[in-house]
Amino acid sequence: MTPVFEFEDVCYTYPGQPQPALQGATLSVSAGQKVVVLGRNGSGKSTLFLHSNGILRPNRGLVRFKGQPLRYDRASLLALRREVGIIFQNPDDQLFSASVAQDISFGPLNLGLSGGEARRRVQAAAELCEITDLLDRPTHALSGGQKARVALAGLLAMDPSFLIVDEVTASLDTPIRRQLFILLQQLVAQGKTVMLATHDLDEARYWADWVVLMEAGRVIAADTPARIFADRGLLERLGMAEPWYAPFVNGRHSAARSPNGFGTPER
Amino acid sequence: MLTLDHYAYSNRLRSVEPAHKAGLALLVLVLCLALNRPVVGLLAMAWMWGLTAWLAGLPLRVFGQVLFAEGVFVAITVASVALSLGTLPPPAGWSWQLGPVWLSSSPAQVQTALVLLTRTLGSAAALNFLALTTPIVDLVDLMRRLRLPALLIDLMTLVYRYIFILLESLDRMVTAQSSRLGYADFRRAMTSAGLLASRLFIETYQRGQRLQIALDSRGYTGANQLRVLPLQFRYDSSLLGLGSLALASLVLARLVL
Repeated sequence: MTPVFEFEDVCYTYPGQPQPALQGATLSVSAGQKVVVLGRNGSGKSTLFLHSNGILRPNRGLVRFKGQPLRYDRASLLALRREVGIIFQNPDDQLFSASVAQDISFGPLNLGLSGGEARRRVQAAAELCEITDLLDRPTHALSGGQKARVALAGLLAMDPSFLIVDEVTASLDTPIRRQLFILLQQLVAQGKTVMLATHDLDEARYWADWVVLMEAGRVIAADTPARIFADRGLLERLGMAEPWYAPFVNGRHSAARSPNGFGTPER
Repeated sequence: MLTLDHYAYSNRLRSVEPAHKAGLALLVLVLCLALNRPVVGLLAMAWMWGLTAWLAGLPLRVFGQVLFAEGVFVAITVASVALSLGTLPPPAGWSWQLGPVWLSSSPAQVQTALVLLTRTLGSAAALNFLALTTPIVDLVDLMRRLRLPALLIDLMTLVYRYIFILLESLDRMVTAQSSRLGYADFRRAMTSAGLLASRLFIETYQRGQRLQIALDSRGYTGANQLRVLPLQFRYDSSLLGLGSLALASLVLARLVL
């Protein structure tokens, strides 16, 4: 399989922060994969994602897209962002227009598409995300799940080949989450690559075909779900060997004590 | 304000070309100011109220409440035109002695006040019609088509959207503070409000940064305006017909009376 993305020893420290967010992250993602990235809060998932479309530029190391190192001039970034779409954790950060239809049309028009083509893309994306009835509604009247679908439509209208979903699923109820995964599955069937950050082990176990574990700004493992979940030592190291409810099953809760409390992610 | 916003999105004239609605409102406004007769103002009020109720389908009382609120403000101002206070009894007109001062009025003063009142309320009614039938999104879209400066359009787009996001944050924070007794007494309420203001400022700043990242990710280069598709509207023949009739009747009322 050909790698779409290659991150080589990527290091990044946010300006004004004492600790690096990424310290030598190395990862390779193949075309058509369903990748789930697991890691504790602050392990560097979002920072890694922001390197994939050139929002952040590594302090050290290299990012390659389709074999070519990323370039950071305006034309190259525009070409890159046409192919790599990110949905952010909070849809309110992404939806800038009070008109749903106009918000979705923003990306296609930035690609330089004609009005007619952009309108067709908006309609197609709205149908795919099942939000055609919301197009005339004001953004501020939508529920959280509706906003998430509108944000997704705004990206799909740009027809990216690589889609990144940053912890969106946690705030969605079960039916909408299921709908989202069915939709993502359709996109993968069309040949797109999807990379998703989550805290939900089930999403990694049952949906992913490639699981990436991050800790303290590094990728500590990347493998098939079967092999990742067979490696108890690895999961124990991340505190993921048992589900959160394990101490409470069968009345074991009297003995329930986390070995290291809430802990803080090692950085 | 949020209720007015709700009506603007859900009335029957929502999908009608905003240029027609804004054009009618502005022409009525100009006629009210230029023709300067009480009957014109009264007629304008009646037309705008009627169109908002019949064509847009809003309850009569909604327009009435908005107009009443404006009427209270106008009445306070106009009262100072209709009545005068003095220490000497006026030579003519009506007067009432209130202890050491004289309150007086005259037919001319009442006439001026009446003209002022009807003219102002007629103009306000024209703008109410626009505000109750046309959401800001459509007005901004109209301004974009009229090629107003891109900076102005983008600011209006973002500010309008962020009003609601900020209101939501404010609401959540006040709820969180109240549930920890943040507003239990005056002193604590002052402290909490201060903390709220500073927190909201920081939150707004961080939101701005995240917005920039999200826009950049969707191919915004910062060079040109935030580009979006123009909205699509329909023409409404009854609005065009009744609107023209309204304008004609205002001019006619001035000529006849």
